[in-house]
Amino acid sequence: MLDRDSLILTVVMAILGFLVCTAVLAGRAEREQAAPRQAELVRLIDDRRSLVADLDQAVERLRADVFRARTRVNRNDVRDREAARVAAQLAEQAGTVPLTGRGLVVELAPSKRQPPSQQEAGAYQIHDRDLQLVVNALFASGAEAVAINDSRLVSTTPIRSAGGTIVVNFRPLSPPYKVHAIGAERRRFEASEIARRFRRWTNLFGLGFELREERRVEVPAYTGRVTISSATPAPGGARPAPEPDPSKAAGGR
Amino acid sequence: MLALAGLIIGALVALLLQPSVPAETTRYVAMGMVAAVDAAFGGTRAYLDRTFNDRVFVLAFASNAAVAAGLVWLGDQLAVDLTTAVVVVFGVRIFQNLAALRRRLFGG
Repeated sequence: MLDRDSLILTVVMAILGFLVCTAVLAGRAEREQAAPRQAELVRLIDDRRSLVADLDQAVERLRADVFRARTRVNRNDVRDREAARVAAQLAEQAGTVPLTGRGLVVELAPSKRQPPSQQEAGAYQIHDRDLQLVVNALFASGAEAVAINDSRLVSTTPIRSAGGTIVVNFRPLSPPYKVHAIGAERRRFEASEIARRFRRWTNLFGLGFELREERRVEVPAYTGRVTISSATPAPGGARPAPEPDPSKAAGGR
Repeated sequence: MLALAGLIIGALVALLLQPSVPAETTRYVAMGMVAAVDAAFGGTRAYLDRTFNDRVFVLAFASNAAVAAGLVWLGDQLAVDLTTAVVVVFGVRIFQNLAALRRRLFGG
């Protein structure tokens, strides 16, 4: 009787060992499957981001090389020298050369406070519209070159939001948003509507708004395409575009 | 002693064969395991108490595992996490059986 019992006990214990091991292996396999997929994606995104940054740097370097080579070639002829001077001036205006000078640094950050309700959450964030208004006000106060988080603004630069993140020059930015503006005057910017509004919002919603005057503000070169393509009217005329809804554009404030 | 040998042999077989479990059933298998471990301890205790009944043991082993897995599955269907219930109940029982085993073996 005892032998039969111990045999059954042994067999069932063997089954138990088998099952426990199976469960452990399965659980480990599942965890391994879930974790690396996310890590893989993060790695992929990081890889592409650093690749883009490398290419940006290469563009900047090559443009500087081209500029130097052209200046050297054009040194001998008076007319060529004049053309090089114009080209340098245009490059400065187009934003394809980095600039340094006296200016303002404006730092915008979303609020650290907890919004009281889901509907009011928008008031505690920085929107693309806020950045647009700040940048416009900076240009209006005399800025010659502006960059947001080291992304140079040129005349064709869009500042848009894409699903909660602000995209400048088609690159996503993350807060805080540091706006560097060379040549902007502090007094004129502080008198602007958006600056006064931000002072109020800082008290009301706790938005980050910092304004510094700096002797040496650096603005990098624009590294995107500088070729401009234009749209032509469709044959037969087009319907006028619908007016944007101003209440939606205001960002819920 | 034989029971321990059986346990090790079973584990080795699993390690050698590397059986695959569908990902969505892993949770249920794990809960069934907790119940089965309890049954194994209970069986060992009964064996040392000389009250071992093979039919009761095999039935307890199979039914505990099945009910634990089924309960968790039911909880998932009802969006209630019943894994805690299974873990608490069988966890307490495992420790009770373990205490009984210790008393029996060392007379503590």
